[in-house]
Amino acid sequence: MKRRTFVQLLAATPLAPTIQAKGDAPKYKVVTPYKPAAMPGMPGPYPGKVVSVKSAKCLSEDGLKIDGEAVREMMERGMRALAGDAKAIDSWRRFFTPDDVVGIKVNAGGRPWVVSSHEIVAETVRNLTAVGVKPQQIYIYERFQGQLDQVNYAPSLPEGVNIFAAERANARNDNQNYDPHVYVEADFFGEDDTRSNMMRLVSQKLTKIINIPNMKDHGATGATGCLKNIAYGSFSNVARTHNRGVSQTLSFVGALAAVEPLRSKTVLQIMDGLRGVWHGGPFAPTLKYVFFPRTIMFGTDPVAIDRLLLDVIDDERKRHGAISIWNRDEKTLDFNNGGDRDKDPNVNIIIREPGHVEYAGNLGLGVHDKREIEVKEIEL
Amino acid sequence: MRPGAVACVFALMALFTGFSADRVRKQAAAPADAPSTAPLIYWSAGVETAEALKRAGIERIAAPPDKAEAWRGAGFKVVAAGQAEFDRREKLLTPRIAGRADVASATRRPWIDANGWRFARNPAGEFYYDLPQGKAAMAIAEAFAYNADAVLKIDPADLAEAGAMFAFIKNLTGENYPPVADIGVIDDKSPETGEVMNLLARRNLLFDVVAVPAPQFRVNIKLGSKEYPRAEAANPSEFAQKIRRRLGDENRSLRVYGTETVICRLTGDGARARLSLLNYSGREVGGVRLRLRGNYGRVEARAFGLARVEPEDFVNDETATEFSVPRLGIYAVIELKK
Repeated sequence: MKRRTFVQLLAATPLAPTIQAKGDAPKYKVVTPYKPAAMPGMPGPYPGKVVSVKSAKCLSEDGLKIDGEAVREMMERGMRALAGDAKAIDSWRRFFTPDDVVGIKVNAGGRPWVVSSHEIVAETVRNLTAVGVKPQQIYIYERFQGQLDQVNYAPSLPEGVNIFAAERANARNDNQNYDPHVYVEADFFGEDDTRSNMMRLVSQKLTKIINIPNMKDHGATGATGCLKNIAYGSFSNVARTHNRGVSQTLSFVGALAAVEPLRSKTVLQIMDGLRGVWHGGPFAPTLKYVFFPRTIMFGTDPVAIDRLLLDVIDDERKRHGAISIWNRDEKTLDFNNGGDRDKDPNVNIIIREPGHVEYAGNLGLGVHDKREIEVKEIEL
Repeated sequence: MRPGAVACVFALMALFTGFSADRVRKQAAAPADAPSTAPLIYWSAGVETAEALKRAGIERIAAPPDKAEAWRGAGFKVVAAGQAEFDRREKLLTPRIAGRADVASATRRPWIDANGWRFARNPAGEFYYDLPQGKAAMAIAEAFAYNADAVLKIDPADLAEAGAMFAFIKNLTGENYPPVADIGVIDDKSPETGEVMNLLARRNLLFDVVAVPAPQFRVNIKLGSKEYPRAEAANPSEFAQKIRRRLGDENRSLRVYGTETVICRLTGDGARARLSLLNYSGREVGGVRLRLRGNYGRVEARAFGLARVEPEDFVNDETATEFSVPRLGIYAVIELKK
């Protein structure tokens, strides 16, 4: 058999910058043939701008039920405030055209309590179809099919919307849905497979992406919001960045988010903060550490939103007397014992790296300095 | 050499080495399209089970000495193998995932029981497997990939699968070339050096056993030397990692991406190469990515159970060839030509 294609990736060398992180951060080799858009989606047209919409009505008093009508109002007000339009549909039209193939990067990892909620995802799809994007051109996506199956978005969505996972489960058996021509190579801990590849869906099919993360604590990154959801949720082989109490997420989250075409295509961030998890994240199998911010944040700048998220999670932890996400005391570390971490919010399994948000800001993905972040708060 | 002389040689070999001479004779008599070395199933049942073997397409077996003649009478090529034969041979591990070596590690590299390093350590060695159900095909593939002289005691329930693997091997084109290696290992026959070889093979760090440091290798390892103190080998995984760093990933003849459960053997003669992929996970792996040093223009892949698979997503530059194997069961063979 003769080669069907002959791709000279060396030709892409000018697009393959080497990121040398500060300190002892690893050296990254970024390989992609894609060029950035004239205005990359991150940080997009509204760098440093965050609209935060809060509604007491969006959840039942006990926080267990979501009110779809309240969510719809929050979404409308948030999008209008972000883009400055009288009508929400005009704001959506600023981002999407009927020709777009739109990916919605959900987060299904915090099931059942802290996932991208059906109501927000459905409202997002409704607005896209209102713009003229056909359901068949919309892809709800995650990395793992097992997680998507459990969350089960289909009943909330119009017929025709695609629900796509790159892998059946987190078992490293499925690589066909990752693009071998777009990857970041780094050797973190001597792992054999040193590449993380971008999903083909992202690199080859989608024209725009909406990122819908949650407000979550994270054992490795301190908090997981826009940046980690889009980065670790669009690439393969990322769990390798955590090892024996050490995490390389400080630099890797931003390094992945900055890879083209992911950076250019991710045009809208909608952070689902109806519910959040302040410890044990990114998982939320029980209500033990779940809290209820009753908030949705909107923006195009993932760094600015995540900078606010760090405080949301840390403040909630303080309220419960738990150690800060910034705590680097190795005495808190019990890296072999996830069970103890789940029992005790003062146990870490990894030294957290909330600095990943600033690092991503330094890569040009957004505004990290709180003094430069404009927050428009709306309370309904 | 005249036919009579050949018979004499075999008789002498049989006199001194018994089974092995018989094996050599059998291989010499093998049809032209048969692989140069194929493992042998040990079949202890009587000749009344011949139909089952025929249905599986198996025509060559090792059998207890008292049954060998009957099997020959039934039309099989037979090597007589008594208990003494197995006592003499080195017993191999059942090829499989044996657990996770480091559960706390996010790299979560699974521990694999594999025998390739034993074959590489002792290419002239004689081995046998005693396999539980479900492992015959994998063991046949493993032994064949390393051109090893191995006899397999299998579970009768695996007969059809074993036969299918033999048929797959028989239909392979290409040849077994000399092993390609980046690392020379000077073997002091110690268990520590064996474990180092095991870990090198596990990481697809290609090595060959040499008597003295060989200039063609970037790295030569002699355990107990100043560069490689014996104490360091107490942690063979770390030791293998040290060797990997010393070699440099960019200088490796082979890189494997997208799996932690596939061990490869690469053979080649400079212009052609054969890459054998052994998947120990027990599950199909999709999209294994391979990078080989050298500019190969022609690549053919065959995967057991999947017939011919089309390598895809080629990247080729002056120094290396990259491609993906879309689907991989337990075994695939890739033939490459420059």
